[in-house]
Amino acid sequence: MLKQTATTVLATLWLCAGYAADPERSVIQIFTFSQQPIWDAPWRFDAVRRMGGSGFVIKGKRIMTNAHVVSWGRQIIVRRYQDPRPYVAAVEYVAHDCDLAVLTVQDSRFFDNLDPLELGELPKVRSAVVTYGYPAGGEEISYTRGVVSRIELEPYAHVGNRRLLTCQTDAAINPGNSGGPVIQDDRVVGVAFQGMAGLENAGFFIPTPVIEHFLKDIEDSHYDGFPFAGLRVMPLQSPAYRILLKLPDNDLGARVDGILPIPSTEKEFKLDDVLLKVGDYPVASDGTILYRGNRVSSALAFQFVQAGQSVPVQIWRDGQQRQLSLPVSAYAGDRAAGYQYDTLPRYLVYGGLVFTPLSLDYLRTLGGSAPEISNGEMYYELFFRNYEDHAKARPEPIVLASILADSVNANLRIRGRTLLDQINGVRIEKLEDVVRAFETCTNGFDLIEFLPHHGCETLERSEVANANSRILKTYGIAHDRRL
Amino acid sequence: MKARIFLLIMVLGTALQAQTPERKRAQPSPWERSIVTLEASRKQYDYYQPWTRKTGRAIKTALYIGEHQILTTADELFDRTLVRFQKGGRGRWWPGEVTWIDYYANLALVTCSDEDFWRDLQPATLGGTVPEGGTLQILRWHEGNLENRRAEFTQFTVREGQLAAINQTVLEADSDIQNAGWGEIVTANSHAVGIVSAQEGRMCTAIPATFIQNILEARKQSRYHGLGFFHFYWQGSQNPASLARLNLPGEPRGVIVNSVPARPDDCEQVLRPQDIILSIDGFALDIQGDYADPEYGNLMLENLATRNKWAGDDVKMQIWRDGKLMNIVYRLPKYDYSVSLVPSATYDQEPEYLILGGLVFQPLTDSYLQSWGNDWRRRSPFRLNYYRNDPPAKDRPALVVMSQVLPDSYNIGYQEQRCLVVDKVNGKTISRLADLRGAIDHPVNGFHVVEFVQSDSLRRIVISAGDSEKEATGRILKRYGIDEAYHLAGKAE
Repeated sequence: MLKQTATTVLATLWLCAGYAADPERSVIQIFTFSQQPIWDAPWRFDAVRRMGGSGFVIKGKRIMTNAHVVSWGRQIIVRRYQDPRPYVAAVEYVAHDCDLAVLTVQDSRFFDNLDPLELGELPKVRSAVVTYGYPAGGEEISYTRGVVSRIELEPYAHVGNRRLLTCQTDAAINPGNSGGPVIQDDRVVGVAFQGMAGLENAGFFIPTPVIEHFLKDIEDSHYDGFPFAGLRVMPLQSPAYRILLKLPDNDLGARVDGILPIPSTEKEFKLDDVLLKVGDYPVASDGTILYRGNRVSSALAFQFVQAGQSVPVQIWRDGQQRQLSLPVSAYAGDRAAGYQYDTLPRYLVYGGLVFTPLSLDYLRTLGGSAPEISNGEMYYELFFRNYEDHAKARPEPIVLASILADSVNANLRIRGRTLLDQINGVRIEKLEDVVRAFETCTNGFDLIEFLPHHGCETLERSEVANANSRILKTYGIAHDRRL
Repeated sequence: MKARIFLLIMVLGTALQAQTPERKRAQPSPWERSIVTLEASRKQYDYYQPWTRKTGRAIKTALYIGEHQILTTADELFDRTLVRFQKGGRGRWWPGEVTWIDYYANLALVTCSDEDFWRDLQPATLGGTVPEGGTLQILRWHEGNLENRRAEFTQFTVREGQLAAINQTVLEADSDIQNAGWGEIVTANSHAVGIVSAQEGRMCTAIPATFIQNILEARKQSRYHGLGFFHFYWQGSQNPASLARLNLPGEPRGVIVNSVPARPDDCEQVLRPQDIILSIDGFALDIQGDYADPEYGNLMLENLATRNKWAGDDVKMQIWRDGKLMNIVYRLPKYDYSVSLVPSATYDQEPEYLILGGLVFQPLTDSYLQSWGNDWRRRSPFRLNYYRNDPPAKDRPALVVMSQVLPDSYNIGYQEQRCLVVDKVNGKTISRLADLRGAIDHPVNGFHVVEFVQSDSLRRIVISAGDSEKEATGRILKRYGIDEAYHLAGKAE
């Protein structure tokens, strides 16, 4: 009897295993040969790197993967399960804010006998999931089983300055797993995408609501991005503050404590407005909503709609309830404060001086001590100016990234890594101002002033005119600018 | 017989060899009667919990310079509770009393009221020059003996002081002495040529005797009112195009003024951006901003603000402005820690704080930022640190920070808030804790409304005022073992 029971259990397990083995045929191995620009020498590129990742087949003969698996890709190679043949793939859509991408494969035979995986629901916390993928350490597909540990809004490391819905799991997610499906009951419930330094047995995957939002967004053949309300919402749990705002003594309502310079948001909201409900979700006093059994930041409630749509919001203002409709769209105002992709860095080389926009990518070239360089001026300009002094914020702060040594600039004291203030009296707000300031100057000298203490350098314009082509030739720069 | 003589010589030689060290010990160095050990005990504050204090102790070297005055550096003499001396590296301790201290110059004079202390002491001579070959000695008492370490003179140069960001001449010397920087005496040819104020690796930095003599002399003549400084930013004129743009004829020379902040003493700034300073007090400036000092060689121009000139003194400058030579007089402003929006030191002053319903408010100072540890410039919050670059403004000469919240039911909802710079309380702009103390006497409709400077963090906190606040503050003080709800500068209430 015991023997019979054991056999039944084994048979059941075998059936389960066999049943669960089907998705693996639709899991794709991806090799990307990528080449990133060098942000402080923007005409150059880093060495070509080979990166391994994973993906899976979705409807419409497409492959879904992570944006970071295919970013800066020069060539993307995909391979089917246990099939040695390489196929060339191309990015059809990429969404850097939510770290997702859709690939196509020119050779339609690639999709022969491959079934697209279906998307499932947001998994429940404590439920079991299996990640499929091709992590480092071997060539064969790998499966790791774990449970969903928690569901929250977390930073997406690919861009660095966006927080979207995330599932944490104790299933191992290692380099190479990125882009692979996380499966529950034969359906994809997420895309594996990142780990977290310092946390053991913790991996993160992008859950289906984010994936579905992305797929819906690209239905019009254009990716707009996740909407961003631009509100800083703080808990409202102080009894005194609630009394001051004449709010009922319950657990509802969180306070608007900051508003980013987004016209629609600035128009609709005031400081000390209290969010009572966003969409269909009541906002609790700690600033969270209850979303499918999970307490998550109320910022999520602004992310369900597509960019360009409006979110109904119930607020408390001046002792009364009010109803607003907030139009939301993707926010590009902090683009430079996150990692950037697809667009090559802008620059101008003039007299060997390399000018480029200030960005997180540029700061990364300075190493770990970025806040200390230039008295923290660049760090402040990139991360704080917009919050503190929006009127004085420059749309595109420009740095003198480096100096290409030449006799024309041999006497310059400054060697780069400095934020620009003015050139020939023109306040530098964006790279085009640098071009204009040099090209419209009628003096014999160019005067370049730097922040924070107006250190300055002078170039003789006649010498620069002679030197420019020489410098470009010496340093192998095809064009003096990319605007 | 030959063998006996040889044996005798051997015995005598051995005896002589054995006696040599004895004779050296028996012949004391004259410095033994001039150099004393100074022990400074002081209060140490934890600026993260400003109501707590520990004690600290430092052993230093000091030099008797006559007239019942012992000279040492000011370092570790702040917040002192007891100063005492020891002569000869051993024996009894004698109580000392600081008669003059200047943290900016990093100098102090200490005396002893017990006449017996001065018996046997011999005043040292300050001054002299670095000898040809540059060999110096660094002296201090160490384990009962006068430690005498050889040092090689490296250079005179201009560096920021040890206790203040003010440029002055220093003597640099290379030595294998360990753990120096505590007032050790640098000597040459029977003169004290400097006092060691810092050491990094083998490099010892000393305050030159001439600088010390000048200050002591000026002080005697009541001409010393503190160190002055040049309150403007400049750059060298290594780039000939910059001088050509400003139409300066002749050989490249001078430095270009970049920016001229408002003076801390409200005097008019006589310099303008894009002036070229050609000479100061008759010393011509080269394109790097150096001048030829008759005593020390090439030094940076900043030294001309402290070269026998003091706060309030005039220095004469020859400048090039708008295509013309001009002579101007620059009055040296007094250097003070509060020339920065974030004072770089708060010596001899217990940490200020104010606790309101568990919300802890403190002045934003370097001392507070240093509570992040040795690597505080990296580890302390960037935004707080960045305020150190700002000058004080008329409407906000200093900053107050809500450093933390001591959790209690009264302040529920705010427990995790910290490191927020206060803008207003109850509608009143806050620069100092005294402003805050005044503002909380005027709650708004029964509430204290605390607004923070607009940044990427929390803007506003509201707590109830009146009895509930007083009750909560009392409860919190008791729970967290804090004696007083506040300590304001000059008011140890």
